[in-house]
Amino acid sequence: MTEFNGRMQELLLVWTTGPMLSIALTLAAFMAANWLFAKVGRPLWMPPVLMAAVILAAAVAASGIGYETYQQGARWLTVLLGPATVALGVPLYQQMHHIRALWRPILCTLPLAASLAAVYAVGIAWLMDAPLSILASLAPKSVTAPIAMGIAEQLGGSVALTLGGLLITGVLASVFVDWGAKWMKISDDRMVGFALGLNGHAIGTARAFEISPTAGAFASLGMGLTGVFTALFLPFVFPF
Amino acid sequence: MVLLRGFLVLVVFFLLGEALRVLVGLPISGGVLGMVMVTATLMLRGRVSDQLAEASRGLISVLVLLISPGVVGVFFIADRFAGHWFSVAVALVAGTLLSSVTTLWLMKKTAGDRTQGHSHD
Repeated sequence: MTEFNGRMQELLLVWTTGPMLSIALTLAAFMAANWLFAKVGRPLWMPPVLMAAVILAAAVAASGIGYETYQQGARWLTVLLGPATVALGVPLYQQMHHIRALWRPILCTLPLAASLAAVYAVGIAWLMDAPLSILASLAPKSVTAPIAMGIAEQLGGSVALTLGGLLITGVLASVFVDWGAKWMKISDDRMVGFALGLNGHAIGTARAFEISPTAGAFASLGMGLTGVFTALFLPFVFPF
Repeated sequence: MVLLRGFLVLVVFFLLGEALRVLVGLPISGGVLGMVMVTATLMLRGRVSDQLAEASRGLISVLVLLISPGVVGVFFIADRFAGHWFSVAVALVAGTLLSSVTTLWLMKKTAGDRTQGHSHD
């Protein structure tokens, strides 16, 4: 029995020296989440990214490989986020005629809405006496992850807390934009997509691509512009 | 081969974005700079090749897969919220609700004003 345990430990060591176990877990969780998402009728409040994360977290905890080891292996997948962000430029170009038609509302909305996305959350947390490090972590909550991590570090926040805030914000934005659009009787995919990308970064953008390619392109635009705008201005206005 | 060629273009633009970020010292990620550069290049060329369109569609369809490993971390750092989880939760929920509604309202308002402006012309 002890010999068998020893072999099992050895196997786990062999499996976790390369990235393959992490890759298999991530792919399996992604597919399971997509299957489950379709199965339960595509609920807005439980997007595939949240399902995949819950399944993955359970698998990582149950397998005993540890979060650090998992994350090291998963880097082989997450490095693709760079080229994937670049890839968003292609639908942006393909939808350029829509964007040209709406350039004024986009330019009028962006600075105010992107600022407010940070100000509302920081203001509420400040009113509730949250310390400075938490305010700094919450400030970039609507910005796409690679930029947000940089901003949080620059402002003196915690990157882990920022990523947590990003996840919750992305999921909530997908739900709230949908409610808001119904409430205000907005059926224009371009406006809904832009609001999804501006408030919900990559999670909102993934949601927008489910609605239509046009919504997806506007979400990419909203996400990109918010990222650039927030990265440039937040370090100057963060008032502490 | 077709997919690989498109993928190579995306990776090269990512590297160019990183180059711009580091050399100019911008606080914006290389991915976003690469995205802006790809869009600008395509606008100058006036068309997008099938290889590039295919490769980007493929990557975008697995966006959720690429985000999920980072998201998992949230479940393992939950203890760092400790003591302030309530204000963090309220700030995230109320803040996101307000900003989502504000964005939609601003878009609707400014798009509406624009069409009105046109009718006055």
